[in-house]
Amino acid sequence: MKQITVKVARYDPEKDAAPHLEEYTVEVNEGARVLHVLHAIHDTIDPTLSYRYCCASGQCGSCAVRVNGEPVLACLEEARDGMVIEPLRLTVVKDLVVDMTGILTTLEGIVGRGEAKVPEKEQVERLKELRDCIECLACVSECPAIEVAKFSGPTAMRQRMRIALDPRSAGVEIAQAIEDGLFTCTTCHRCVEVCPKEIEIPGKAIEKLREIANREGFTLPRHREVAELVKTTGRSITRTKPTFLEQVPEVIEPEGEVRGEVGFFVGCMYNGRLPEAALEMIEVMRRNGIRLIIPHDQVCCGSPLLRTGQTSFIDELRRKNIEAFAKRGIKTVMTMCAGCGSTLKNNYRTPFQVKDITEVLTEYGIEAPEKLDLKATYHDPCHLLRGQGIREQPRELLRMVAREFVEMPSRCCGAGGGVRSGLPEEAKALAEKRREEAEKTGADIIVSACPFCEFHISESTDKPVRHIASVLLEGYRKKDRKKKVPAA
Amino acid sequence: MLADDAMDCHVLVIGSGGAGVRAALEAAKYGDTILLSRTLTGKGGCTTMAEGGYNAVLRAQDSPALHVQDTMEGGAWLNDPALVEVLVREAPERMRDLLAWGAVFDVTEGREIAQRPFGGQRFPRTCYAGDRTGHEMILTLVEQLRRSDVVQLQEHVAIELLKDGERVCGAIALDRKNELVVVKADAVVLATGGGTRVYDISTNSASGTGDGYALGYRAGAELIDMEMVQFHPTGAVYPYDARGRLVTEAVRGEGGVLKNALGERFMERYDPVRKELSTRDVVSRAIAREVLEGRGTIHGGVHLDVSHLPSHVIEERLPIMLEQFLRFGVDIRKEPMEVAPTAHHIMGGLRITPECHTTLAGLYACGEVTGGVHGANRLGGNALADTQVFGKRAGEAAGKGGRRSIRIGRGQVEVQERRLERFYAGDTNPAEAARQLRLLMWEKAGIFRSEEGLLRARREISRLSGLIPLASSRHSLVECCTLENMLLLSSLIVEGALLRRESRGAHMRVDVTQTWGAKDSSFGHTVQSLEGRKIERRGA
Repeated sequence: MKQITVKVARYDPEKDAAPHLEEYTVEVNEGARVLHVLHAIHDTIDPTLSYRYCCASGQCGSCAVRVNGEPVLACLEEARDGMVIEPLRLTVVKDLVVDMTGILTTLEGIVGRGEAKVPEKEQVERLKELRDCIECLACVSECPAIEVAKFSGPTAMRQRMRIALDPRSAGVEIAQAIEDGLFTCTTCHRCVEVCPKEIEIPGKAIEKLREIANREGFTLPRHREVAELVKTTGRSITRTKPTFLEQVPEVIEPEGEVRGEVGFFVGCMYNGRLPEAALEMIEVMRRNGIRLIIPHDQVCCGSPLLRTGQTSFIDELRRKNIEAFAKRGIKTVMTMCAGCGSTLKNNYRTPFQVKDITEVLTEYGIEAPEKLDLKATYHDPCHLLRGQGIREQPRELLRMVAREFVEMPSRCCGAGGGVRSGLPEEAKALAEKRREEAEKTGADIIVSACPFCEFHISESTDKPVRHIASVLLEGYRKKDRKKKVPAA
Repeated sequence: MLADDAMDCHVLVIGSGGAGVRAALEAAKYGDTILLSRTLTGKGGCTTMAEGGYNAVLRAQDSPALHVQDTMEGGAWLNDPALVEVLVREAPERMRDLLAWGAVFDVTEGREIAQRPFGGQRFPRTCYAGDRTGHEMILTLVEQLRRSDVVQLQEHVAIELLKDGERVCGAIALDRKNELVVVKADAVVLATGGGTRVYDISTNSASGTGDGYALGYRAGAELIDMEMVQFHPTGAVYPYDARGRLVTEAVRGEGGVLKNALGERFMERYDPVRKELSTRDVVSRAIAREVLEGRGTIHGGVHLDVSHLPSHVIEERLPIMLEQFLRFGVDIRKEPMEVAPTAHHIMGGLRITPECHTTLAGLYACGEVTGGVHGANRLGGNALADTQVFGKRAGEAAGKGGRRSIRIGRGQVEVQERRLERFYAGDTNPAEAARQLRLLMWEKAGIFRSEEGLLRARREISRLSGLIPLASSRHSLVECCTLENMLLLSSLIVEGALLRRESRGAHMRVDVTQTWGAKDSSFGHTVQSLEGRKIERRGA
């Protein structure tokens, strides 16, 4: 037995004005789960503690709670001293019990065609990927789109796709799916991150339903325009000024010794809309001895099309991009756009490695910049944090260059999944929430690692929003200025 | 509250596992149906946790007669043959219902429902959806339920059945706010599942506290073979709080091998032919014996090994097992699991006819709460089939029953009000009493039983029943009622075990020297009701 002290959110709407945290110390067995801590509190200290549980083996989805802010199944998550246990972000009935029935009853079932003929093995395999859901509602409780738009939620869309995939079903009403918010999902992957079964809802349900919508002519007009642009120009951004690729040679040698070499995949945003940031990145690479090879025949990665279900010519883009880098014998392709990086890593099968710039820089190790007199916060791009699992590297770099680094909660800014172009009001509302969070930190600057996030958030805040590479360059420039003017 | 605030329906189904939901779907064809469940619909009960499969005769090489024979033999010939016939005949039809409603079972390359071998069966007839078969079924059933007219009373706890004279006509329940509600019904279907939560080590979900046995018994129904408790051979043994968690029989069905700490494949000694795929009673006793005799692991179990199977087979066929053991640091693709028996299923229960009539007018039952289908030992894969076959039958029979004008005297509600009132002046922490009971049952009414131990259990249960569970607030009322149900169920198990002076199926009396085999035993069902208890004689 061991002693453990935890804080638990208590709230009885009949008595309390607001939830509050209560501290408990209990004895539990080695290897005890969060659920067993709750049992111990209930059995030995306070029998009025309310929490929901049933199978105690991760199969019924009754006991999802938040531990230190993250949704988990209480029956599977190992208990740790000092943890804070709170209900999911849904309507709280009492203590850790939230209202689930309101959502669960809206989940649709299959409307059969009256045939009991079973699906084929291949179809079964695809269905099974969407069938593990235990309806714990962790995904619903964390979905950013639900907070600001009319959206039936991740698991409802999962169920829709499951129905669409089943040969026994009469099919899905895609117009209804759109009515229920099919296009509100930013593909931020928060739902996958919190899902105890790790169901890939954005990729395997949302984007697939959007493909059906596309086939049936329901793609949003603005998304169609983007697809048309990619089809005719190879880029998702209209040219309004000299692009990055127009300004750079194919090979950029470093200043000193060559420590490494990467191919650079620029992406449409840094190429066409924010070329300055990409040019600043070049300086950082040169300074750190990394040769850049920049094939000028690269095109859009296809992310804006994949996310919006417009996949008819995606293979063409894939082929062009892979060829552009492969034929130059490039072993590692570097991205500085989280969206491109995530797409190349997850939607391509490449003969080369793909790395985000923050991975490249931290792996090679960089010259220390001069610290800037800034309090900085970091916005996790969804497609970097969850799309590529990159959390620590940008923070490590940021700590090298900022006087002070403060965290803010990782939430989607609303730029992704075609939401910014398709449903700008929703995107704006999410960016607004980012602004509020950033302001709470008191930071002077918001740093990120994705042009979509940077561009989108910058429209909602007066603070500068910059890519980590640009901030590093500023640190180097400060260092250089100091060298030139030695202290008297 | 007043009896005339009551809700009214044609059929009231209590319990939302596989049997209850199936019954409600069927009953709704005949009239207003309410499905009352102490958990969120579908999340309670054990169906959603059931892993391995659903037995159905689907192939020309298999036959209903063989399935019947396997079931009777596995059940040590204590099964009610008429119920077994129905189970076997209708399991494939009910499987077709599930498929028509969209259930995603594994299929073969030839687009047939895939089947795997399970213990005690001479044909691989266990249909499956990976190792989350029950979950697949409950998802499918609940999806249908959401589209139906069935009214769901979720997180409502039935605390007593209501009667109009000799006829059951509804139930009194505690709602989400722990207030009494009355539901009147022309017929009531009990589908409350099992109750092995009365044991210290159990596979059951939190709702496996035997509520239905207690409700039925107190209303006057007959229960049979309550001593027949199945100990599943393979439950997890550590960490402490995960003890008893089910390790599906599919692990052995897919080729898993049992070895003791000396590395011996000991099942060769206990059942040289069927080995790991012997019936559950045999495998459980073998494992318990190995551990008792000092050949167990340090955690008090034996090894169950699938590491000789290709990784992709484990990933595809046993994903839940893989995931659960990884959580506790064991990669079953590379190393063995440690397992030991765990209380799993109660074969006994309310006596029913093939139409699911209990011995009380107006009361029907289906699923684990009933007795007779599985005899003295249930075959793996027969329980999920049972839920669907008898769930449908119970719903149909209850639905087809007539409509009545129901009068419920105020008295029955008042009795319950007094019962609850008494808890506020209780003297015992119900959680502590339940803990003591679980340890007692495991010790004295577990795999190996003797008269001495059972008498000791009887005395202790009687002592615990004399205490009054304390409700410090209305939030504890359900827990107090549940403790009473657990005590009553435990008493039924112990009394049945005392009545049956023979070893039969899962029931092992170490103090009885026996000269007869199961097939020629002169003993029939043990029967318990408010009228008294007895053991029936065969051919008498």
